[in-house]
Amino acid sequence: MDGLFSQVAVLGSSGVLLCAIAILWRHGVSGYISAFQLQSNVLAVLTAAVAYFGHDHDLYWVAAMMIAVKGVAIPRLLTRLAHRVGQTHDSEPIVNAATSLIISGLLILLAYTAARPLQALSAAPTRAGIPLAIGLIFVSLFVIVSRKQAISQVIGFLMLENGIALLAVLATYGVPLVVELGVFLDALMGFLVMQIVLYDIHDTFNTIDVDVLKRLKH
Amino acid sequence: MQTLLLSALVGPFVLSAVLAAIGAGDRRVVGWIVGIGRAISVSAAFALVAFAMGGPPKPLGTARLFRVDALSALVACCVAVVGAIGLSFGPGAPGSVHDTPAMRRVFQAYGNVFVLAMLLAVTVNSVALMWVAIEATTIASALLVPLHRSKASVEASWKYLLIGSVGIALAFAGTVLAYFDFVTITGLRQTALGWPLLMDKAPALDPGLLRLAFVFLLVGYGTKAGLAPMHTWLPDAHSEAPAPLSAMMSGVLLAVAQYAILRWKAVVDSTPGGAAFTSQVLLAIGLFSLLIGALSLVRQRSYKRLLAYSSVEHSGLICLGFAFGPAGVFASLLHMINHALAKSSSFLLAGRILGRYGSTEIADVRGLMRTMPATGTLFAAGVMALMGLPPFGLFVSEFLLFRAGFLSGHIWETGVALVIAGIGFVGLASHLLRMLYGTPPDGVVSGERDTWALVPIVVSVAALVVLGLFLPHAVTTLLGRIVEGMPG
Repeated sequence: MDGLFSQVAVLGSSGVLLCAIAILWRHGVSGYISAFQLQSNVLAVLTAAVAYFGHDHDLYWVAAMMIAVKGVAIPRLLTRLAHRVGQTHDSEPIVNAATSLIISGLLILLAYTAARPLQALSAAPTRAGIPLAIGLIFVSLFVIVSRKQAISQVIGFLMLENGIALLAVLATYGVPLVVELGVFLDALMGFLVMQIVLYDIHDTFNTIDVDVLKRLKH
Repeated sequence: MQTLLLSALVGPFVLSAVLAAIGAGDRRVVGWIVGIGRAISVSAAFALVAFAMGGPPKPLGTARLFRVDALSALVACCVAVVGAIGLSFGPGAPGSVHDTPAMRRVFQAYGNVFVLAMLLAVTVNSVALMWVAIEATTIASALLVPLHRSKASVEASWKYLLIGSVGIALAFAGTVLAYFDFVTITGLRQTALGWPLLMDKAPALDPGLLRLAFVFLLVGYGTKAGLAPMHTWLPDAHSEAPAPLSAMMSGVLLAVAQYAILRWKAVVDSTPGGAAFTSQVLLAIGLFSLLIGALSLVRQRSYKRLLAYSSVEHSGLICLGFAFGPAGVFASLLHMINHALAKSSSFLLAGRILGRYGSTEIADVRGLMRTMPATGTLFAAGVMALMGLPPFGLFVSEFLLFRAGFLSGHIWETGVALVIAGIGFVGLASHLLRMLYGTPPDGVVSGERDTWALVPIVVSVAALVVLGLFLPHAVTTLLGRIVEGMPG
């Protein structure tokens, strides 16, 4: 049973990580959004699987909230946002696709090194997936710093949150439910505020390319 | 008793936020209710301090949602005082004639939520719920930065929101790592991990993993605390936000983030070799922030950005003090109180100056002492306090801080810090002098208006002088209590 659990955990985490890497070679904003949506849904299924194998019923709630908030609500809002600001293509990122993929490979190697103390300590069947979660955190940070569109940065940030949620599920079968509730509330509110500010940027600058945000210096 | 005081502390801010959100009735009646509420809240904060001083230094573990010890009481008190002053100066206060009713409502609604989140962050028992509350401060305040819609303020709010959210997400990753350590080693699954339990079990936890967690936590909360190199959002947000919000963000939001760092430092310090590790990391990041802050002070052209970079500098100093052992923590916390008073006053006065001169450029503000004698005098006092001059409290706390540095054996580091602080001093002094004297530009009216609004600032400056001339016994007792409760 533990063998199967472990395989499911690794398979699920790899899927979640691959969705983030997909962003690095795709160009359309709608491609980004569907990659994020797929990632959230895979993460939700993985969470439900951990709930089943790990006998932790709170996690079913977490999985349900994940689908509702990040699988349905936020992708819809993102799609509407992209239409309203007329943003269907990301401008050329700071580094090209090939270099991005090499960098993300290096980041995942780094994650394997960083995760060593965690794996040494843990006896959970899910521990083999932990480096992939940390890898996702690093890759999401890279997405945020290398994209020039504000909407792509938001998607990078949402993936960063997914990375931390994945880490929590794999390492400790999730954080306490009351904390999960707070985290989801913050995530949703935070996204709504980001959306408002994005509309503000679009209204004042007529674009959401962050290259225009260079007025404030020194 | 504690429950009653806590509800008196946070209740008025909840009520004010709701009243503003629904845009309730008669402005004068609402104004009175809100004003009385703030007075109750501030009194409750001082009562909590008294309560915490009477209690045991290390409250025993309970599963309660809230818990107030000396450290939380201290920061809560700073937040309540600065929050009450800041909110009373915001749009909607009598005298702020340029603001529309919509702006007033938005400011009061989100501003009260902002203060509420800070108060919850320092009084909640769980390490993870503290994170939830600190994240909420970003959300509530980011909407207020572009209140007076301009290209610069929209840009500032985006930077603040993105960098702040990413930073705080990393702090959550650190929290998850520490929680993982706790669950794996102790085998306890808590409904929500509380500080007393965590401190209790900390010596048994895996030190390597806790150090990794601490790096994430320091980067995360350090972003909110304005520590370099994660500070890049701070000068933009603090300079573009409406002055009362800058006063609250610079005065106490930084203190709340430092509170989180100090709490986690205490946890890591309980493990073998942990104290040496946290000292080194804090020393490096503190010195770097001090350097970036001081150098940026010298070349500033805008007085609001000047105050913002001064916050980076002081945040670095507080961080440095944490690395200097118990005496350093004592000095840092004293510095935190002083900085909250001095920086919030200076930002509020900067808002008055901006209202009169219509420019944030230092070069455009001339003859401040002639146009606004009272504002000019108080601004000079505030900036001189920030420079660390006697008779203000920051002189004493900086003196204690550097003394703790030398006595704890960090001779070189303290020496370097002193030199950098000297650079910052010169930077602030030269800019201040240029603003105070000279011929006012044409078209700037002379004479003070709304002098009543200066009363809270006069009180703050008086408190700074009291803290600078003789340290009240109550303050030293409270700080002593906090340091006693720290490991090592």
